Amino acid sequence: MQIKCTINAKEFSFDTEVTTRVLDIIRELGFTSVKEGCGEGECGACSLFFNGKLVNSCLLLAPQMQGAEIVTLEGMKEETKLLRENFEKSGAIQCGFCTSGFILRGQEYITHEHNKDAKAIGDALDGNLCRCTGYQKIIEAIQKSMK
Amino acid sequence: MMKIIGKSVQRVDASSKADGSIKYTDDLEFNGLHADVMRSSIAYGKILSIKYDANFDFSEFTIVDYKDIKGSNTNTILMDDQPFLVENIVRFIGEPIILLAHRSKEALLEVKKHISIEYKEYDALYTLQESQERKNIIFGEDNIYKSINTCKGKEPDFSTLNRLTRTYSTPHQEQLYLEPQSMIARYNDGEIKIIGSMQCPFYVESALEILTTKKIEIEQAPTGGAFGGKEDYPSLMAAFVYLLSEKSQEDVKLVYSRRDDIAYTTKRHPAQMQFSSYFDDAGKLYGLEIEIALDGGAYCTLTPVVQARTVLHIAGFYDCEYIKVTSNSYATNTPPNGAFRGFGAPQAIFAIERHIDDIAKKLSLSPIQVREINLPTEHSKSVTDAKIEEYKRVRAIFEKARIASNFDAKYIQKKSKSLTKSGIGMALFMHGGGFIGDGETVLASQVWLELYQDSRVEIKISSVEMGQGAMTVMPQIVADTLKIPIEFVSYHTPNTKEVANSGPTVSSRTVMIVGDLLRQAAKKLQSSLKNYSNISSYQNRVKVYLGEKPSKRFEAQYIKPKHLKWDEDKFYGNGYDGYSLACYVAEVDIDPVTYQVKVKEFYAYNDVGEVINPILAEGQVEGGVAQGIGYALYERIVYEQGRVKNSRLSDYIIPMAADLPKIEIGFLESDASAKGLGELPMDGPAAAIANAVSNALGVAIDSIPILPEDVEQLCR
Ligand code: FES
Ligand code: FES
Repeated sequence: MQIKCTINAKEFSFDTEVTTRVLDIIRELGFTSVKEGCGEGECGACSLFFNGKLVNSCLLLAPQMQGAEIVTLEGMKEETKLLRENFEKSGAIQCGFCTSGFILRGQEYITHEHNKDAKAIGDALDGNLCRCTGYQKIIEAIQKSMK
Repeated sequence: MMKIIGKSVQRVDASSKADGSIKYTDDLEFNGLHADVMRSSIAYGKILSIKYDANFDFSEFTIVDYKDIKGSNTNTILMDDQPFLVENIVRFIGEPIILLAHRSKEALLEVKKHISIEYKEYDALYTLQESQERKNIIFGEDNIYKSINTCKGKEPDFSTLNRLTRTYSTPHQEQLYLEPQSMIARYNDGEIKIIGSMQCPFYVESALEILTTKKIEIEQAPTGGAFGGKEDYPSLMAAFVYLLSEKSQEDVKLVYSRRDDIAYTTKRHPAQMQFSSYFDDAGKLYGLEIEIALDGGAYCTLTPVVQARTVLHIAGFYDCEYIKVTSNSYATNTPPNGAFRGFGAPQAIFAIERHIDDIAKKLSLSPIQVREINLPTEHSKSVTDAKIEEYKRVRAIFEKARIASNFDAKYIQKKSKSLTKSGIGMALFMHGGGFIGDGETVLASQVWLELYQDSRVEIKISSVEMGQGAMTVMPQIVADTLKIPIEFVSYHTPNTKEVANSGPTVSSRTVMIVGDLLRQAAKKLQSSLKNYSNISSYQNRVKVYLGEKPSKRFEAQYIKPKHLKWDEDKFYGNGYDGYSLACYVAEVDIDPVTYQVKVKEFYAYNDVGEVINPILAEGQVEGGVAQGIGYALYERIVYEQGRVKNSRLSDYIIPMAADLPKIEIGFLESDASAKGLGELPMDGPAAAIANAVSNALGVAIDSIPILPEDVEQLCR
């Protein structure tokens, strides 16, 4: 099927199978900050903003992209600058495979929430898995990026 | 010149990871064939026939089986029992038989339906117990991969002593690196190069040399976590893409789905450890008799070395006159078990540290008292009859954790099943860094430092960055030795054609062994340059020294320190070049409604010698403790007749942020050289938590994971 949508504020139109996952389409278009960690909606590595909402792109299929506005980490360099710097400085990154998902999740939290409590942030990270860091430094990096 | 060692230099790969621009294997430019694997559907049996549907067009597919192998079909690690591809006998569910490649992933899903494999089934051994009982013989004469037995000291007079016998068991555990196994073969005019996610490029090189009889170029790609799971398994991945690429003459990529990765790749070895201990009324140990059994799975892989590490850690560093250990590792018809952070030590530490608490309970003493009375002295000897040189450090770390956690005040012994469901537990433990016994001598690791005209020094080693921070701390070590800014030192993902073989990136050996070699090479470089006092005189010295030459290489190679002795046959002597030490304390609460154990406080005190990079070191501890908490409370692989039943992240549960406590971390100040750090924090948490749960419930916990259903049972 023919799909038209915007990705990181640019128009895209392409042909794809109806059964193709948004995750695969996005990655094939070169937005490889979006990762596949589980393919089943559990790890958050495939996170992206879909019509303003943070979603797991491994659970979406091509037809849902029709007319959608998609933003990946590649398209959020400016907004995430402070948070990324804090991730870098705080030791919130090890292997890095989960990182883009956590940056987007953290950015979403910072934008909408005000509670700097570690527990509240930890609870908000329930859709993202990290096997390397034990999450503490991720939480610290998010805290440091909040006013 | 500012000090570089001991400073939290920011990771060199931090920004490319934070903005998502770093390219892991599956992110690399690729225009070739995708690969998939046809696997056995039974646990043990013989292939009778493989039928290709006559009505299906296979012409667009590349299909490979064992007959396509030009060299030898043996993925030799320690034994040569494992084939790359099954010839006729399958030994576990999911064993690779046929490889397939096609441009489209969808086509690969379809084609598998048109190939059918017929088997004659044999009686499989699904569990350690079945293998021990020899219900069937599936390996050698007795299903045993290896026996390691050792005995030190003189048998005490048992008649005057108390005796306690208990058995502890630990389960499989999945590494769950977030990036699944991934590998690419690049085809270029008859030459094939391998790029992928791996810990040990030269292991892959030697596996492919057996497969092809040629030296193939192997390059590591940025690796999204490994934890031992990418020690030996990538050799198989590389063999698969190589064979498909050779046959199709195209680039080939194989990326495992999470389900395949959980179901078919290696796990931590399940262990069963029976302890009989002999002690006086004060809890002083005089004798330990220990029997260990490990489940190696369907092929030997690294099992004997894992087993050796279990034996070397099984008695902790306690003072005990007489220690006798018998150990066997067994074959079962389950996917081969392999390396996972800790590598046999977490099992051992769980058992000995639980046992110390069990002794305390039997004597109605505090577990602190029993640990204290058994702390090593200058006369104490380890399980392999080596002096416990670390005895002062052991005492110091114990004191530190005891006081900092306020253990004595918090500990209340529960007489029987108690109603207040909270408890505290401790684990005091060590981790041997580097290969066991003569292992490092055999490896004879090498490092190269290349000095260039622009004054840059390049580290050329095969040790990899996999998240642990090697790419940052190794340049720190070199820059520190040379007294130059770290920006002058570079280090890339290794390619076997370009770097020295510094050995595998395993066994907490990278900083301790390879880092030390880098320091030696850097010293050679420094003395060749003679005196320089600042950066511009350094740059001048480099110009003068190199003259017209574009670069110059400085090397160092491992030589065994003279004071270390090892007898492999008797299993006697210095098991390791050096040990790191730790004492962890866990406080738990048990939810009276859900029976979920929650770790409320966690104290992790470590002595790893010199700390190279404090933030990265803390990160290793936080991550290791998180995996240890998973091992203790959440992670369980369910096998049903040899088949993994929970190969999804929704039913194999690893800790999320909300499941973890704040971890209080300390490193003991030390002027000792850097010791291993990567594995240490994985070793102790399960024991500390199980001790805390035992304390909370007044019931001894002898196995993990401690799931709510288990707690409910115990509370009845
Ligand atoms: S890949 Fe989508 S949630 Fe894991
Ligand atoms: S940094 Fe490796 S999974 Fe999070």
